[in-house]
Amino acid sequence: MSSDKIAVIGDRDTVTGFQMAGVTDISTPSNPEETRNSLIQYFRDPRMGLIIITEPLAVEVEDTILELSEAPIPVILLIPDRQGATGAYESVLKELIRRAVGIEIHV
Amino acid sequence: MSQILPGTKTTRMELLRLKNRKRLAERGHNLLKEKRDSLIMEFFNAIAEIKEAREQVEEALSIAFSALTQAKMIMGPSRVVEFAQASKTKADLSINTRSMMGVRVPVLSLDHQEPKLPYSLPDSSVKLDTMSTKFCEALKAIIRLAEVESTVKRLALEIERTKRRVSALENVVIPRLDNTVRFVKLALEEREREDFFRIKMIRDRITE
Repeated sequence: MSSDKIAVIGDRDTVTGFQMAGVTDISTPSNPEETRNSLIQYFRDPRMGLIIITEPLAVEVEDTILELSEAPIPVILLIPDRQGATGAYESVLKELIRRAVGIEIHV
Repeated sequence: MSQILPGTKTTRMELLRLKNRKRLAERGHNLLKEKRDSLIMEFFNAIAEIKEAREQVEEALSIAFSALTQAKMIMGPSRVVEFAQASKTKADLSINTRSMMGVRVPVLSLDHQEPKLPYSLPDSSVKLDTMSTKFCEALKAIIRLAEVESTVKRLALEIERTKRRVSALENVVIPRLDNTVRFVKLALEEREREDFFRIKMIRDRITE
């Protein structure tokens, strides 16, 4: 648990940028099926600590992300890509908040 | 709902034990209620923090992406990709946990190792270096966001669990204990009355 890996799933630009920042596990899926596969593959890696996925890709596999988010580690995080934020991350969070507090809250 | 505990004997010992259990359940109920309230407070604080961290990430990323575009414009997209793949920077994540009211929340920290530049300086533009630092900053912001987000997630799960426990105590355990206590009390009183009556009858018979 001392040193955990970071993975990035995203388009080429995002991945290139994070490669410069030192992320070694990267994937650039071209369809939802591939996104899901690489997500699950990274998720199964016991040394993985954080999976970063861009919002446009995450929207296509939202059900898988919600399911995998149940586990505490690895953390799955949605980030905006170069087009800017789409607000997709809210749907993942909202579901959690709704279950915890019983009401919908706008983050 | 208004059942009594199965297998209860109607004895004084049992009554004392039941009363103790009820007291314990009530104390637990109060404690859990307090825990739930303060968890919810923490939860809202964390949500406010998420919003802030999210804004930071978005800002850092947009700066990083514009640096990337500039690097691509000067060096050409394929060269940038090539240099990125050659990058020797290593980013390792270390995860520790700290306890927040009994909930273990992760504390993430990033250690960057930057060995000497793996690419040749004359071949690369200064924009490439700018982009590299900007993405490192973005990654730091992202890691902070990840920490806060997973804190919120775990708090949410814990709140859910605590709520369930509170309502189980409130609606099932305590009423059931109440009913059992009443049942045992009534049975004991009834037995006492019977005894009293029996003694009276015996007295009448003896004095006849």
